[in-house]
Amino acid sequence: MIVILRNVIALIAFSAAIIFGTAGIFGLFRFPDPYSKLQAGSLCGTTAVFSIFIGSLALAPTWAMAGRIIIICFFFLISSPTGAHIVARFAWQSNIAPWKPSARHHRKGKNNKNKQDDLQ
Amino acid sequence: MKFLMIDIMQWFLIVCAFFCILRLITGRTAADKLTGLNVLSGVVLAFLVLRGVRHGTALFLDVALVYDILGFLGFLAIAHFLKDNFSGEVEKEEMKR
Repeated sequence: MIVILRNVIALIAFSAAIIFGTAGIFGLFRFPDPYSKLQAGSLCGTTAVFSIFIGSLALAPTWAMAGRIIIICFFFLISSPTGAHIVARFAWQSNIAPWKPSARHHRKGKNNKNKQDDLQ
Repeated sequence: MKFLMIDIMQWFLIVCAFFCILRLITGRTAADKLTGLNVLSGVVLAFLVLRGVRHGTALFLDVALVYDILGFLGFLAIAHFLKDNFSGEVEKEEMKR
């Protein structure tokens, strides 16, 4: 009974990890400027990796491994947002302008070939 | 069932890491590359944890903990170095003008 419960919890957590991870990797390639890419990357980094931690916590064979996974969870909760903040501050200080939807982008939809010109 | 799930997740993380390395190589600006590196760090951490649970050895989890701390410090150092580099170039360009 306990084994089936642990497997079901792990299955749910791993399914969530696959959904969030796929969305994060897509966003990493499709979003226009570093800030929104960073948002997609943080989505992939925090939710997907944390779901994997919860799933492996459910599947952990011994208590020692479960304790180590919890400690890794705490460290990851501290280090991942701090790293994302460092990247965002670096992008802001190197004068990268945030992306704005221009009038041409609204009118023609996908025709954003001159994206760099629109930024300026 | 348990080992099958963990194996599937390991292959999924390998594909994720491949795309992150692709982003790291093909990114245009330094901020794009740093974003890819940020995601890659988390993906490798999750891979190490899954590997440890799969084989039942706690050694992988210790390595994952140390990798998290040292990877974060290295990331901080890279961002700091790039920032100094960038601001130095900007100051030089402003002085030329």
